[in-house]
Amino acid sequence: MRRYHLVRRADSQLKRTLIYYAAGILISLAIGAVILACLEINPFEYYGRMFTIGLIGNRYGYKSIEGLLKIFVPLLITSLALSLSFKMRFWNIGGEGEFLIGAICASCIAFNSTGMPNFVTVILMCIAAMLSSGIIGIAIAALKVKFNTNETLMTLMINYIMLYVIRYLGDTKAPWNFFLRADSERPIFGSFPESAVMKGIPLGPFTLLWSVLISIILTVIVYVYLKYTKQGYEISVVGDSSATAKYAGMGVGKIVLRTMFISSAMIGLAAALTVSAAGTISDTITNDVGWTGIIVAWLSKLSVPAVFVTAVLISILQYGCQAAATQYPAIDINYADLLQGIILFSVLVADFAANFKIVRKEDAKNA
Amino acid sequence: MKKLISLLVSAALAVTSVFALAGCSGTKGSGNEASNFKVGAIYINSQNDTAGYTYAHHHGITEAMKQVGLDPSKDLYIVDNVPEDDEKVKQAIDQLAGNGCNIIFGISFGYLNAMDEKAKEYPDIIFSHATGYLSNDKNFNNYFGRIYQARYLAGIAAGYKSLALGNNNIGYVSAWGTEYAETCSGINAFAMGCMAVNPDAKVNVYEIYTWGDQEKERQAAELLIDTYGCCVIAQHCDSAQPQIVANEKNVFGCGYNSDMTKEAPNAHLAAPVWNWDAYYATAMKAAMANPSTFMTEVGNYYEGLNAGLVDVSALSSNCEPETKEAIDLAKKMMINGEWDVFSGVKLSFSGAAGSVAVAKTDAPLVTNEGAEIVAAGGASVDDSVIQGTMNYYVEGVTQVNK
Repeated sequence: MRRYHLVRRADSQLKRTLIYYAAGILISLAIGAVILACLEINPFEYYGRMFTIGLIGNRYGYKSIEGLLKIFVPLLITSLALSLSFKMRFWNIGGEGEFLIGAICASCIAFNSTGMPNFVTVILMCIAAMLSSGIIGIAIAALKVKFNTNETLMTLMINYIMLYVIRYLGDTKAPWNFFLRADSERPIFGSFPESAVMKGIPLGPFTLLWSVLISIILTVIVYVYLKYTKQGYEISVVGDSSATAKYAGMGVGKIVLRTMFISSAMIGLAAALTVSAAGTISDTITNDVGWTGIIVAWLSKLSVPAVFVTAVLISILQYGCQAAATQYPAIDINYADLLQGIILFSVLVADFAANFKIVRKEDAKNA
Repeated sequence: MKKLISLLVSAALAVTSVFALAGCSGTKGSGNEASNFKVGAIYINSQNDTAGYTYAHHHGITEAMKQVGLDPSKDLYIVDNVPEDDEKVKQAIDQLAGNGCNIIFGISFGYLNAMDEKAKEYPDIIFSHATGYLSNDKNFNNYFGRIYQARYLAGIAAGYKSLALGNNNIGYVSAWGTEYAETCSGINAFAMGCMAVNPDAKVNVYEIYTWGDQEKERQAAELLIDTYGCCVIAQHCDSAQPQIVANEKNVFGCGYNSDMTKEAPNAHLAAPVWNWDAYYATAMKAAMANPSTFMTEVGNYYEGLNAGLVDVSALSSNCEPETKEAIDLAKKMMINGEWDVFSGVKLSFSGAAGSVAVAKTDAPLVTNEGAEIVAAGGASVDDSVIQGTMNYYVEGVTQVNK
């Protein structure tokens, strides 16, 4: 009987990795092309529109760029935040919940900000969101440090708690509920007053929102923090081995609490920027960044520059899939989601194949 | 090394995009062969659904496009599965506007804020919003229909069935109850249709508190049949489950949205249905002719049997023989405007098949708590009540799970 084993490749060749990734993506696009061909749609035309995010022949192309950036900013910040906690081997999968609590608290300020200066309101919204999300994060970290609870379960559950909190707010018509539009018989979320809506730098018809600049500055700060500060070094030591960290005299508990607070507060900031840019809140405001952010963080191997690039590419993929689907009446969003899933899955498989190989048992002994 | 690999991922992704871009350069834009008029639609579910709310609207839009000479495979742009989230609706509108749509239909109530806001941003595009209540005087209207008229007709079919079976208990599975005027007016109209035939009929409403949940719809129908002994199950919910249950338990039913006779061949009588193409064709014609007069030509649209917007599906062979004549009589009175459901005049049907007669009697419209809404002989309640503020059940209606 022959047995097969997985063995990590001793060398990590640049060329091989490149080929595997390209092959993975091409295979996934080919699978998508078969489906498109069955629907009598030209796959080249479809993919062309997808990867140009529907800009060809679009009379309001700048709106597409604005829309793309609105998807990109929360994804980038959340992915960065998740990378921070993953680096410490703290499995924070509660990005959705931390995002939502931040969004709710920022909206509390936004809905009551009529007449306040725009700049002050947005800053207050950011602070409220960062504090609320940060407190949730630090509470879960404290339970982990104090009682060694399972942070994966705790963060996972917070997602559902917050989702139902916001659904409750969205469905409950009551005098106290300032989240809802007052003149509507049916419950429906209201719009923020002008004072709470994010402004930007006008470049012709295009508006570059401040949130885009903030997210880019934040990326640089996180990069420097991880690479050049003592605290950043501590995170990676705790991640490699918390025993080593202890032996080196580091306060592991303190580092975990601090990092989780920063990580959750960043997600809160992403939430405040998102609701402010949208000018409203809803139970789908997260756009699943808490989940997609996990994929971005791992595809990037937790490296900050790679997170930035991957977030750009995944945003283009997401926005492009929807833009292309719009132009074909036969294609609905389920196809777009399917294609995204196939592409991400192939990339992950390609990554695995580039790093591992399958060997027979007797070979493995010699390896 | 790790960083290098991760950068490679990105590079590989980028390379592929370039490849795909190159692929598209040789293709032609679809605008060349299509006509100048483009229709945009924002759906809450998918255009590939085979039943339900989005299906009914998509069917209406494609049918209407054919009627006005547009090609749904070229001139129609759809953003589907758009949740009631202003940001996502706004992005959908930007996409449709960017693709050159001249008119944009939004079919779900929660698109309200975004359509209102974007109508100001794109003054050249007509925005048309189903079930909403906002509009402006240039390029933004709302549309809905008098589905209660069709429910009254379905009630006649149910009433005859209950008379024939000698069972006065009629069940009604409803998404919501008195919270929404849409569900509430539907229940009341159906009950009044039943009672026009069988004055002793009792309508038992089971509210499932959601627009769509097949399991709850099923359970509600089972409960109404098993516990309350209902002989006909009507419904205001998305799936055909209540009809399927009625079929399994050998009772009868009235579906909704589509003719559910194929799902429940031995049970289904007739269903209130929408023919949305009646509105969509009107709207498209007006927008194609002259967008600037759209609001005076079409305006806020609220029509019923008279415009063919609502109707009952073809009566199945399960119906009692008198049903067709009675429904035709009532339909005629509503089409020519001689009578409407929520007025101080009641219809009553009598006579055997072949000689069914209708009689009008002045009688007040009274709630099931005894409050008088319309005096005997009075005119119908306002459309704004039917569309927005009706929050009471009429006599003969009981909600069993309150």
